[in-house]
Amino acid sequence: MSSQLIRIYAFAYRNYIFAIRNFFTFAEMLFWPVIGILSIGLMGGFLGLQGNMRQFLLTGAIMAGVFQTSQLDVAYGFLYDVWSKSVKQTFIAPVKNMDYIAGSWLIGTGRGIITFFMLAGLAALFFKFSMPPGFALWVSLAGVYLTAMITGMMTIFFIFMFGQRIDIIAWMTSALTMLLCGIYYPVTYLPEFFAKLAQFIPLTYFLEYFRTGYGFHLNFTHPLLKGFGLSAAYIGALLWMIEMAFSKAKKSGMLVRLSE
Amino acid sequence: MKKIAVEVRDVFKTYKSGFFKPRYTNAIQGIDLAIHEGELFGVLGPNGAGKSTLLNIIMGLITPDKGCVLISGDNTCGMFHRELRNSMNMSSGNPNYPWALTVREALNFYGMLYGLWGKKLDVKVDGLIELMELKKHANTRFDELSTGTKQRTSIAKSLLNDPKILLLDEPTSGMDPNISVKIRALIKRLHRELKITILLTTHIMREAEELCGRIAFIKDGKITALGTKEKIEKMTKSRNMEEAFIELAAD
Repeated sequence: MSSQLIRIYAFAYRNYIFAIRNFFTFAEMLFWPVIGILSIGLMGGFLGLQGNMRQFLLTGAIMAGVFQTSQLDVAYGFLYDVWSKSVKQTFIAPVKNMDYIAGSWLIGTGRGIITFFMLAGLAALFFKFSMPPGFALWVSLAGVYLTAMITGMMTIFFIFMFGQRIDIIAWMTSALTMLLCGIYYPVTYLPEFFAKLAQFIPLTYFLEYFRTGYGFHLNFTHPLLKGFGLSAAYIGALLWMIEMAFSKAKKSGMLVRLSE
Repeated sequence: MKKIAVEVRDVFKTYKSGFFKPRYTNAIQGIDLAIHEGELFGVLGPNGAGKSTLLNIIMGLITPDKGCVLISGDNTCGMFHRELRNSMNMSSGNPNYPWALTVREALNFYGMLYGLWGKKLDVKVDGLIELMELKKHANTRFDELSTGTKQRTSIAKSLLNDPKILLLDEPTSGMDPNISVKIRALIKRLHRELKITILLTTHIMREAEELCGRIAFIKDGKITALGTKEKIEKMTKSRNMEEAFIELAAD
């Protein structure tokens, strides 16, 4: 195995151990998403939503749970070191930024898949949720995981720039992303400025495409092309930005301060 | 003539803190230093003198404002390529590692960061657990370890990649005297048997006297004395290193 693959595996191994040993990681995967799906499902029933409208809402709740779980793991790839004050121990070794991002994203994806099937199962059992056709399902899920990587990387960038005081951003960015990309409503329902802004978020397109599986029409042309194209551009740009922020952290002493 | 393993050339570092009213702290003010291959070199100084900053600069974790560090003649200029990182390691005073990992898991994790895998990783980790007498604690989480055991884990971690240059930042801080004696004996053994270049910081005079061939005394980010124990004692007209330290640390 190449040394880079070993390093990626090392970070996946570390995130996995944290995931199985800490209660908060279970709560993120099991508790909050389940509360979300039950609340939304019950609300849909109370409002008398039927057929596709109910599916629309449940899809939002499921994807919100999956997205939040996956993106947090990417941020955790770095935050575990920040919280343990072991940042410098990691960077003493010949580690590249992509190593911990990729390693933690693998575990985030795994946790996201478990969350997805658990939520979809619960929604099917209690609220007659049905899965969309295979292609729409898998391609949209892949898109959600890519957007999760992007938001996780944004957290890493901001922590390198401003330090641990800003770690709350790990939860803020995902909440803002979901608000803007129309997790429970079509983005056309947003005020015009925010609807335009939503077009810069890949998750907008993946949610749109997912919903076509329930017969909803598309508000955008070529959603997959735009979603994956934007994801690739953002991941490339963020890798560069994290590299710059890392250099800045070495100049300002932030890298060592994050370990004290 | 022995080759130079670590060369610090005219290095300066100032930290800026505060956003609206910036404050500046001169941590390192023009340090020149050459450490030979196979040397066990000590950096002494009071708290806040700049010892840890110097080590972090040598390790490439802090970029100096001015000057450069050469590792085995290779100018790093703040950029450490992979081979260089593979040839060095560092053990910090008051070490911190991911809290949820046991000693064995932490060593496995850091070992993998150096590309160790499979049987090779197992043998290396087992050997270091044995060497550092960590067997009893191998399956204990890092956040449940005593200070001394954390320190021994840190030294074990710093030996994972068989470094040619080893930086030890206060290696016996927080340890019981009997453990300190063992750690010092281990450092001597590593130096003697593996011929590693070791650069260690300490403010324990006995440690510096016992271990180091040459010593640099740092105060306010500057080297105020450099040489063998005997040379420093002569220079400060002191009877021992304890007195020399007090003399050199005085304002």
